[in-house]
Amino acid sequence: MSAPADVSSGFVSLTVGAKAALITLVVGAICLILEPYAPWLVAWPKGWVLPTTDWVGSSLTWFLEGIKPVARMFSDVMRYPMDWANFVLNGTPWPLVIGLVTALGWYLGGLSMAALGFLGLSFVLASGYWAESMNTLALVAVSVPLALVMGGAIGILANEVPRVKNALQALLDIMQTVPTFAYLTPLLLLFGFGPVVGLIASAIYAAPPMARNVMLGLERVEPEVKEAAIMAGGTRMQQLFQVEIPSATTQIMVGVNQCLMAALSMVIIAAVIGGFNDIGWEVLLTMRKAQFGEALLAGMVIVVFAVIIDRMSGALATERKRYDRRVFWALVGFAVLFTVAFWSSMPNASDLTLLDPVADAVDQSLTDFTRTNGVWLDALKNNSMFYVLLPLRIGLDQAVLPFTWGFSWTSDMSQGLFLFGAVVGALIAWRGNLTGGLAFLIAIGMLETGIANLPWPFVLTGAAALGWVAGGPRLAMLSVGLLSTILVSGLWDRALLSLYLSGAAVFSCAIVGGGIGLLSAVSPLAWKIVRPICDMLQTIPLFVFLIPVLMVFQIGEFSAFLAICAYAVVPMIRYTRHGLVNTPDEMMEAAIASGATEWQIMRDIRGPYAAPTILLGLNQTILYAFAMLVIAALIGTTGLGQSIYLALGQADIGLGISAGAAMAILALIADRMVQGFAEERRKALGL
Amino acid sequence: MTDVTPPAIACQNLWQVFGNGADKALTDALARSGGDADAAAKDLREKGFIPAVQNANFEVKEGELFVIMGLSGSGKSTLIRCISQLLDGTGGGIDIHGENIMEASKQRLIELRRKKLGMVFQHFGLFPHMTVLDNVAYPLRVQGVSRKARLKKATEVIELVGLKGREKHYPRELSGGQRQRVGIARSLVADCQVWFLDEPFSALDPLIRRQLQDEFLQIQEKLKTTIVFITHDINEALKLADRIAIMRDGKIVQIGTPTDIVLNPVDDYVREFSKDVAKGQHAHVSSVMQAGTEGVGPDDPGLRTDMTLDAALARCMELYEPVPVHDKAGKLVGMVNPADLAAALQVEEA
Repeated sequence: MSAPADVSSGFVSLTVGAKAALITLVVGAICLILEPYAPWLVAWPKGWVLPTTDWVGSSLTWFLEGIKPVARMFSDVMRYPMDWANFVLNGTPWPLVIGLVTALGWYLGGLSMAALGFLGLSFVLASGYWAESMNTLALVAVSVPLALVMGGAIGILANEVPRVKNALQALLDIMQTVPTFAYLTPLLLLFGFGPVVGLIASAIYAAPPMARNVMLGLERVEPEVKEAAIMAGGTRMQQLFQVEIPSATTQIMVGVNQCLMAALSMVIIAAVIGGFNDIGWEVLLTMRKAQFGEALLAGMVIVVFAVIIDRMSGALATERKRYDRRVFWALVGFAVLFTVAFWSSMPNASDLTLLDPVADAVDQSLTDFTRTNGVWLDALKNNSMFYVLLPLRIGLDQAVLPFTWGFSWTSDMSQGLFLFGAVVGALIAWRGNLTGGLAFLIAIGMLETGIANLPWPFVLTGAAALGWVAGGPRLAMLSVGLLSTILVSGLWDRALLSLYLSGAAVFSCAIVGGGIGLLSAVSPLAWKIVRPICDMLQTIPLFVFLIPVLMVFQIGEFSAFLAICAYAVVPMIRYTRHGLVNTPDEMMEAAIASGATEWQIMRDIRGPYAAPTILLGLNQTILYAFAMLVIAALIGTTGLGQSIYLALGQADIGLGISAGAAMAILALIADRMVQGFAEERRKALGL
Repeated sequence: MTDVTPPAIACQNLWQVFGNGADKALTDALARSGGDADAAAKDLREKGFIPAVQNANFEVKEGELFVIMGLSGSGKSTLIRCISQLLDGTGGGIDIHGENIMEASKQRLIELRRKKLGMVFQHFGLFPHMTVLDNVAYPLRVQGVSRKARLKKATEVIELVGLKGREKHYPRELSGGQRQRVGIARSLVADCQVWFLDEPFSALDPLIRRQLQDEFLQIQEKLKTTIVFITHDINEALKLADRIAIMRDGKIVQIGTPTDIVLNPVDDYVREFSKDVAKGQHAHVSSVMQAGTEGVGPDDPGLRTDMTLDAALARCMELYEPVPVHDKAGKLVGMVNPADLAAALQVEEA
């Protein structure tokens, strides 16, 4: 803590945080003053943009054209297993499929899981989306083995050859942070229109979780177990396949679970390229036609599949006993008999439209709902836009207009705002928190200017300062270097727009999710209610989040904002609660014995102790928000997400990859910074 | 109770039962067994409950150092957590200075902990994000004592436990022994009147343990607080205690002075503990002394009632006839047969 006297004793004696904030503030102030005379400080001049996007495009196209014959051959080969899976899944009579899934559910999780399988698939059957669902499943069925083999190989390789481990980790990071839409474009060029693109994309997307879990599982095998295998005289391969991998089964099964979920999610996203009559395409089509009842129904089908696949493969990862095989075979036998006996008199699955009336009713009631509640829904949307999102985006100086706020912004107001910031900042600094005071003043300045209009020297300095504080000079240089590539490639203003929307969403998630997490930590009852909701939100594929927000708030930035928040809030809730609940007993007892009230324990002990965990939650929230940002481009966001989506439509590889890379850069920098802060907190706790 | 001053701590029929719906289960079990504690405990176990403390009854006098001893799982940690109300007891009563704290409100408990009770933990329970100074000052901070005043007091206590110069260190930078000194300092900073120590020295290596025991006795000499001390080490118990309670499977099987425990174990369980003990160092001449001086021999090796058996035996090595025993003032109070001295030292065979 620095008393006010320290301020005058010189720059050198300040903490790193205070120095960083001070430099950022000074650069920001200089930019603000020079802005009228040097407009290039805000808008990077067109003449300075290097045509990197074109370079990337042409060199990638050249490269891809080169390997295209190989890819096309691969694509032709992949057609066989796909057709085969399609044939099997669509050709198998539906009573048999339902019976098999129910029996599998029984074997893995007993009565409740069997019921889940039975009811879930019955719902799918009744919805009339049976054929589309089977097409989707066929894609998953082929892409998952690919992803498992790829992920397993990467995991084992990283375990066996420590030298390549760092490189492989970086590769996995890239595979997961580059937005999925971005690599659809080059894949499209390579493999041509068709389901194979979705297949490959989902395999690429689903392999990293498998690889990570294999690595983790193998790492966690107890040294004594490994040593016992060595002393038993096994060769390296025997040790690996007979001892280490079986010992790591539980963790690897977690990987299989995550791999399945990722594949399903991606297969549905890949529907945007079209050409395949699957359930994702059905959602997209109905959404475009504004048939929200239908879209919701199709979305529910996706959710049902996600839940069934998640729960069943999740059961694989627990070491619980399996249930009686005889019941399993009895169920299968019954399904076969039922099929044979009644097949001729059973309706075709695709002709079933039992739930169409429900969909129509939903449509109708939705129309009624939006009509009757239109006034306050619009008010909610407009107020959030005009008074929160817009000022954040373009700054108070441009967002405050007579039309919305009732008066126009004057330079006197700007000066008043800065004065207010300076006074409050000085007050905070005087109370001993110099860094906090400076940060407050910077935040006020950003509010006045708007994130989309921030001068680039200020952003670069700010990123460098944050990087320095979080992870030292290397991270600072990395941040500046990577951001500069975005700057010179001409994607800067779009990147700032993305930064603004995801920043607003992350900020809201941090407040709301942190609050809910705190509540769940304090009240077990609240957690009982919140937990299944969190489980559900994490199981639902990204795509489905768009449906409800679109239904109520139509296309636009606010809908996108809500969809991002709904998806990204979950890790914040979970990690906050987890961190707060897991304070060691003795520390809690020591605090109670010291006579602390519950609130004091929360503030002094549980909060600080949970800080690193909560920061990791924030990190996850940021990554989730970036992932959703691109998907949300479907319903109207500006910025990088939109560029990626447009590039996909125009088959513009250069733009797609550059914008994707810019997105990945933003995510990577945010990730490293928050990790850095979390690491610092952990060290401070001696963990 | 007719005493004018109530005992510092009094436990009456204290029970701590774990399991869902333990309160009702205990009431029912006691009703069924007609108040027989052992039968009720058996009943509870059969129903899947865990009676971790069964019908504990004892009093701790003002300024007494009361040690609770037992093997791990015997319920001693649960018992001290009941008395300090980190756990709400399932049944019975706990009075601290005549106030039934099982009935006390949350608010009152916080007040008691701030003003009256202090506790030291086996694994220290230090707050990793605070310096030594802030850790020690924490009980004052929650009371809203000004920063200056609480740091001044904390500095004093840190000096008392011999950690001067380490105030700005973090717990992770200290050794185990130093960490426990911080824990002790923290429990003392608010001037507690009743001091709970839960196996405070068990996690330390033997040399540090002995050093801390000695310092602990010195601190106790200075402060004269009432102490409840948990340990699984009989030698530690005998060294520190005014009185010892021995626990087994949730029951207190014997309460007595160190000499009582060593010389008159109530059952094999207690005897098993005292087996390894060098009795000569703990039992006193008074425990084998006979009243009257009939038949006392000619030699007077100068035995006193408060002498340990070892010391007494050393003086009677060559003697076979009974010798006289004097009290502290030098008055003749009885006699001892040297053969009895030797016999008392024999290790009992099981």
